[in-house]
Amino acid sequence: MLAYTIRRLLYMFPVLLGVAALVFSLFNTVGEDPVRVALGQHATPESIADLEAQWGLDQPLYKQFLDFLVQIATFDYGRSYDTGEKLSDMFAAGAPVSLSLTLPPFVIGLILNVSLGLLIAYYRGSWLDRFSTALFIGAMSISYLAYIIGFQYVLAYRMDWFPISGYEPGIEGLQFLLLPWIIYLVVSVGPDVRMYRTVFLDETGADYVRTARAKGVSENRMLFGHVLKNAMIPIVTYSMVAVPFLILGAFLMERFFSLPGIGDLMITAINNGDFPVLKGLTMLIAMGYSLIVLLTDIVYAWVDPRVSLS
Amino acid sequence: MTHAPLPRALLALTVILTLALGACGGSKSSSGGGEGDTPAAAGNQKKVLNLVRGSAHKNLDPVKQFDQASADIVSNLYDTVLSYHYLKRPYQLVPSLAENMPTASEDGLTYTFRLRKDVKFVDDECFPGGKGRTLNADDVIYSIKRFADANLNAQSYMLMAGFVEGMDAFREETKKAGKDADYGTLEISGLQKVDDFTFTMKLTQPNPLALLPLAASQLSIVPREAVEHYKADFERKPVGSGPFKVQKLSRRGVIILERNPGYHGVYPSEGDPGDKEAGLLASAGQKLPLVDEVHLPLIEEAQPRMLKFKRGQIDLLGFDKNNFRQMAFKDDKGFHLKPEWADKFEILSGESLSTEYFVYNMDDPLVGKNKALRQAIAYALDIPGFIKDMRNGRGVKMHTLVPLPIAGSERELKDLQRYDRDLAKAKEKLVEAGFPGGKGLPPLTVEYRNSSTDTRQEFEYHRAKLAEVGITLKANFQTFSAFLQRVDSGNFQMTISGWAADYPDAENFYQLTYGPNKRPGPNASGYQNPEYDKLYERSRFMPNGPERYAIFKQMADILYEDVPVFVTWTYIPVSMRQKWVKNRKLNSMITGHRFIDIDVAAKTKGVQ
Repeated sequence: MLAYTIRRLLYMFPVLLGVAALVFSLFNTVGEDPVRVALGQHATPESIADLEAQWGLDQPLYKQFLDFLVQIATFDYGRSYDTGEKLSDMFAAGAPVSLSLTLPPFVIGLILNVSLGLLIAYYRGSWLDRFSTALFIGAMSISYLAYIIGFQYVLAYRMDWFPISGYEPGIEGLQFLLLPWIIYLVVSVGPDVRMYRTVFLDETGADYVRTARAKGVSENRMLFGHVLKNAMIPIVTYSMVAVPFLILGAFLMERFFSLPGIGDLMITAINNGDFPVLKGLTMLIAMGYSLIVLLTDIVYAWVDPRVSLS
Repeated sequence: MTHAPLPRALLALTVILTLALGACGGSKSSSGGGEGDTPAAAGNQKKVLNLVRGSAHKNLDPVKQFDQASADIVSNLYDTVLSYHYLKRPYQLVPSLAENMPTASEDGLTYTFRLRKDVKFVDDECFPGGKGRTLNADDVIYSIKRFADANLNAQSYMLMAGFVEGMDAFREETKKAGKDADYGTLEISGLQKVDDFTFTMKLTQPNPLALLPLAASQLSIVPREAVEHYKADFERKPVGSGPFKVQKLSRRGVIILERNPGYHGVYPSEGDPGDKEAGLLASAGQKLPLVDEVHLPLIEEAQPRMLKFKRGQIDLLGFDKNNFRQMAFKDDKGFHLKPEWADKFEILSGESLSTEYFVYNMDDPLVGKNKALRQAIAYALDIPGFIKDMRNGRGVKMHTLVPLPIAGSERELKDLQRYDRDLAKAKEKLVEAGFPGGKGLPPLTVEYRNSSTDTRQEFEYHRAKLAEVGITLKANFQTFSAFLQRVDSGNFQMTISGWAADYPDAENFYQLTYGPNKRPGPNASGYQNPEYDKLYERSRFMPNGPERYAIFKQMADILYEDVPVFVTWTYIPVSMRQKWVKNRKLNSMITGHRFIDIDVAAKTKGVQ
């Protein structure tokens, strides 16, 4: 397994190099010109040249790309064009907020939705199955934004059950996160449960389930000891790929609930052509994604003895 | 299919999770919450002004800030040599760090400034022993040098370019010296320290506008110790002598400003007619600021801002388009709240210092060379309808470039020629242009700086109006930087532009069509008219009065005839305030937090 892991880690280098080249090309072809955006209309050629020199954008492209690679290697992406803040400080401030917004409902949602999926698959064809199918499809038809606006208006403003918006670090901040968590769970329950139900249905119809039932295995043991275990591969795949994106938070939720996370930071950076922020976040996500894919493969072997890492 | 009884473990797990979620959702939370929006709590007599930021600031170094969000914070933390009167209109300069208004020499070239001796920077670790020291003339000269330093200020130097002796040369020297420019050896010859609290500023020619930049937030006075101590982080570690100091500074979270007890300012004792009756002089003579803290959470979306305002968690709030439609209306007498809100809040409006206008590229072979075509478009566009239908009536049609609160606006100009919608005249002009009924006229392209819904709706409105006379309008929606490149390089036919006052003088607006300011300068149309330029140069440094206004009238007539730009409208900001907020008057030149007062008892009662 060690050799496999090392080999997969080495595979990451060309992938990251490709991502870096793609990000750099996109920034220099279709992205906003950060100098123009910063200086606004009527900027003189002198002021444009001054700021380009300040930000190193007057250097040849190959030199800029090499500097970018050095930044990736040293994890030092410099300072934001937009605010002059150190990228490391911005990430350190934003990542905990985004994770506190997304990680708890992700974990709760995973357990809840897998349980509901198992439950509904177990009662396939019953009124519960039909009712939940209709409910979840209906829920999935409503846009994310409508949930945010509606829940904020009804539960926070009308009912006064939650603060309308705001954020504080630590336990004090929990009150501000509860409503976004509920929305996250409500939004995820439809597609997730539908997906897990399908996975479980594939398993509950399998020969080994019929054989187990014939042998008198209890329903509890059959579901948790056999069906759930055999369904773990798609569940692990589906959930693990979401993990790197948790740090990006949820852009709309962050904006509407005034949560100073990474998602909002990313969108602002795209709008303003803040390349250092874009570079840093994109590479962070690419690295996270590559590591998670590796971890997922390792977890496969752990949850399913039929999978071997070689 | 038959089912066995529900497995108990699965049932238990589902019930536990459901209950856990129910507990989360069902727990009643505090109505306010958060440092940024705490209503004045009963029993706590601290006066807290709860406002909101719609966008995050970028840079708090006075010479580097260029966006409104940064300027709003900088002007609360720093002080300037001069400032603007909070209540009087047209806008008037008043002394701030200066003891009195500066005295001018007989030739009008040299101004002598005497500074107050009781102004201290706030306590900060950058000072010996952490105690703020007295602000002096060296600080002013140092701050102006920073403003002129090409390595620091890429954006706002034009405010002082060309009129202080030796300043442009100093800027060139700093450019050559790079980041290591030494202010000890590089001097601005026109700035001289007389004593610790006196300095002089010598101009290259008499110029009544020369004092205006000294009231701009970019020319806030900073201590050298803070700049040298914090280095690059000075952009985020403000150390000033303004009405407030920082208690908490979170760019994307909550900013809390607290009263600077050493601030010298007092509330004005005079105002405009009607200000006394409106209660705006109730705090006359009181020491500023009038509140203990200002809380400024960042809330970028309109819905949570309005919900918090309705809850009493925000004290003052501007309207966005949708909320205005839901809560307010306009009639002949002005702006009003709908009955269900009228007893809860008060509506405020004022006149902004901005202008919007169509720009024709005068170098374009079609619109630039065909005056009758430009006039036809001006007659065909429906600006009052646009303001009513697309902007909730929150605007006024304009006929000159100069916003209404500025001396020399159309209020002072008699018998002004104007373009009001007249389809018959538009058709006549099209015939004169050689395109009767629009026949033979290719589609005209207007450049837009984004592709937002609002922008697309704006285009559709104008497109439909021009189509009525046979003119086909196309849009080019693009990114901001692509738009800037296209317009600044003259690669466009038409666009829509706006200008907000750098300082409250008509010159700042008539320069928009001054020949030498051709793009990438502010003259985006590239208009060249020697007669107009001469009039502009004559009026530029004249004091306001009938003689200057007569020249403005001639310039307005020339622009009416040639139409290099078609002035459309000016925005009227409309906002709401809670009834416990006192002393609110729109001031487009200074941030007024220091003048606002809160009736704490009324607020506590109102929030409850």
